Amino acid sequence: MTMTDSPPATDTAPAASSPAVAGLYDALTTTDHKRIGRFWLRSGLLLLIGAVVLGVLLGIEGTDAESTDLFGGDNAYFQMWALYRIGLALLVAAPLLVGLATVVVPLQVGSTNIAFPRAALASVWGFILGAGITVVAVLAGGGFGAVDRVTVDERDAIALTLVGLGFVILSLLLASICLATTVVSLRVKGMTLMRAPLFAWSVLVTCSVWLLTLPVLLANLLIAYVDLHNGPGTFGGDASGSLAIYGQIAWVVEQPQVYAFAIPVLGILGSIVPVSAGVRAARHGLSVGLIGLFGLIAIGAWSQPYFQNDGAIPHDEKFVFIAFGLAALLPVLGSMGGAGDTLRRGGDSIVGLPPAHLLGALGGGILLLLGAGAGALRVIEPLELGGSTDQVEGIGTLAVSGVASLVLLSVIVAAVGGFWFWASKIGGHELPPMLGRLALLGLIGGAVLLGGGQVVSGFFDTVNHPLAPPTEDAADALAVVSLIGAILIGLGALGVVASIGKAMRAGATADDDPWGGHTLEWATVDGVFTEAPAPVMSESPLLDDADHEGEES
Amino acid sequence: MAATTTGLPSAEVTRPRTVLVATMFASAAAFMAFAGVLLVYINERAAADEWFPPGVIELGPAGFVFATMILSIFTVQWAVQAINNDDRVNTFVALALTGLFGAAVFNQLWFIINDTGFALAGSNAEFLFFVVNGVFAAFLISAVAFLTLTFLRALIGQFGPRKADGVAAAAFYWNTVVAMWSIAWYVVYVAK
Repeated sequence: MTMTDSPPATDTAPAASSPAVAGLYDALTTTDHKRIGRFWLRSGLLLLIGAVVLGVLLGIEGTDAESTDLFGGDNAYFQMWALYRIGLALLVAAPLLVGLATVVVPLQVGSTNIAFPRAALASVWGFILGAGITVVAVLAGGGFGAVDRVTVDERDAIALTLVGLGFVILSLLLASICLATTVVSLRVKGMTLMRAPLFAWSVLVTCSVWLLTLPVLLANLLIAYVDLHNGPGTFGGDASGSLAIYGQIAWVVEQPQVYAFAIPVLGILGSIVPVSAGVRAARHGLSVGLIGLFGLIAIGAWSQPYFQNDGAIPHDEKFVFIAFGLAALLPVLGSMGGAGDTLRRGGDSIVGLPPAHLLGALGGGILLLLGAGAGALRVIEPLELGGSTDQVEGIGTLAVSGVASLVLLSVIVAAVGGFWFWASKIGGHELPPMLGRLALLGLIGGAVLLGGGQVVSGFFDTVNHPLAPPTEDAADALAVVSLIGAILIGLGALGVVASIGKAMRAGATADDDPWGGHTLEWATVDGVFTEAPAPVMSESPLLDDADHEGEES
Repeated sequence: MAATTTGLPSAEVTRPRTVLVATMFASAAAFMAFAGVLLVYINERAAADEWFPPGVIELGPAGFVFATMILSIFTVQWAVQAINNDDRVNTFVALALTGLFGAAVFNQLWFIINDTGFALAGSNAEFLFFVVNGVFAAFLISAVAFLTLTFLRALIGQFGPRKADGVAAAAFYWNTVVAMWSIAWYVVYVAK
């Protein structure tokens, strides 16, 4: 029985072609999920480098916005600021996660390939096209609206930005359908959803949440686009104005929706920690439930301005918003507690410095905990940390961006941890452990400084707008802290890229199971199942095999 | 290492209905996109002092669309039943009839939009009326295209009683589009 509706791929180009043509042919026709996943990962890493450079420039501008003008005007500054915020989620975190999932999830569920590999390939090329259009359009004077009047050309560039982001979202939705279908339909016999590896389960939950919420963002973009061309000008069609268009679509990077990108952080944590500790995961069923709960809480399309027309109660003071803000902390705390318990039970297995993948998994978890904690503090009304309504009405304080930074950087840190963990499955090369530790420390430290600085500054009522003047003296100092954080993140990202480059140059192949893994992907040889996996009896099938062999001997 | 997983023995799977499962996910996404547009319409209408003047939007033509869509549920399920019974003639007739209903609905929508005399750049109400109907028309076209593809695949013998997933998937997506219009019909044309 074939796993998908695709014929077996040959992955060979026409024999008479030159290597360049053959390579291009191969890239455009491959149906190997590992190659498709690597396309996603390369795109995500390239865009990560672009994002960290932009982050440093924005940090420099943010320390002295009145006298510094790196971007050439208020419009350009605002548009780059908005691109950074939206881009960190949709152009960096999302492709890194989708790439990791495309490589790992089919193997984890015991399948030889992803469902609909041609659609998966189309999704990655669609993403590359969409991301390219978005970035070029912003560089050409477009963006998600503007603060001052715009020319006709700039207006066209704004429309092009919306088209580019639309392509990105459609591609992510297509990839989500492929991944979710893989987990639902292509699991090996005996693998119920309760026995599915936590990363695969978290990917299913993430894709489901994306499929329910990102189409709503697509609807927002469509309305703004049509209004921009022929509409009455009240749905972002005017293009100029304090938060035109960006103000409408920013819900995707604000709580609770921003948590939708971080669901796999809990899955990565749940996959890496038991293997590092050398024991079965503590309360696997509870972890499954917590990830599902986090997914439910992350459905946040309802919180967008278009749906908040009652006007009687400010958005941030609504019961549902407060409840979601507080509830998000529960699954993250529970998952971190479970990871801590697992590590305690298998503490003897970790000798010396923690491996890079464990550092990434725990660092991602801690950053997510900080983000969810800051998000919870922000919604507790008596603390008055959400900002006084007069100042921040419709915009929020910088804490909104701080929570988003912490959450999205937790995704990047956990994904990098995932690269080191599943390196033998992704590219077949072992990644340098020490450089990995240093890179991850840079990313984690930078994330704490950048996100933490923004959160604390927000708690001092600094408005979440690049052109708003700081309201407290402390805000200037915190802007410097955030800049240092952005620089550290940049160094960490460079360390990740350097590690991968070094591993590829060295060319040394990694062991098929360097960590003593518990789930089916570690039973593959060179990332390939040499025989059909036996029916699965628990969430750690390879430990079952080991236990069985132990009993027999 | 450039090993590929293709062409190797595949693992045993428990639920191979990939096309139907993927269509369910895609249908959910399509429904949420339409819901996103419709909720903007509802919220703008709730916030506005005045929406459409009485008599501008007529219930009759939209009601015919609704009735046609309800009728199409029976024909598309007829196709699913027929393919499960290996009754190819009835499958073709049912799929063709459903596609025909789709074309009729598109024609009726075209009439409704022209009949109102609205302008895209008019009021918020007129703009959103266009967007809701336009987005629905786009999903309707995609559903008819899906049915056409299914019809052609059935014609060359790709579906049968043991492989009826493709027809069931097309029917599921069609029913999702019917659900979209059912809600839009009530929200836009009945509740006004």
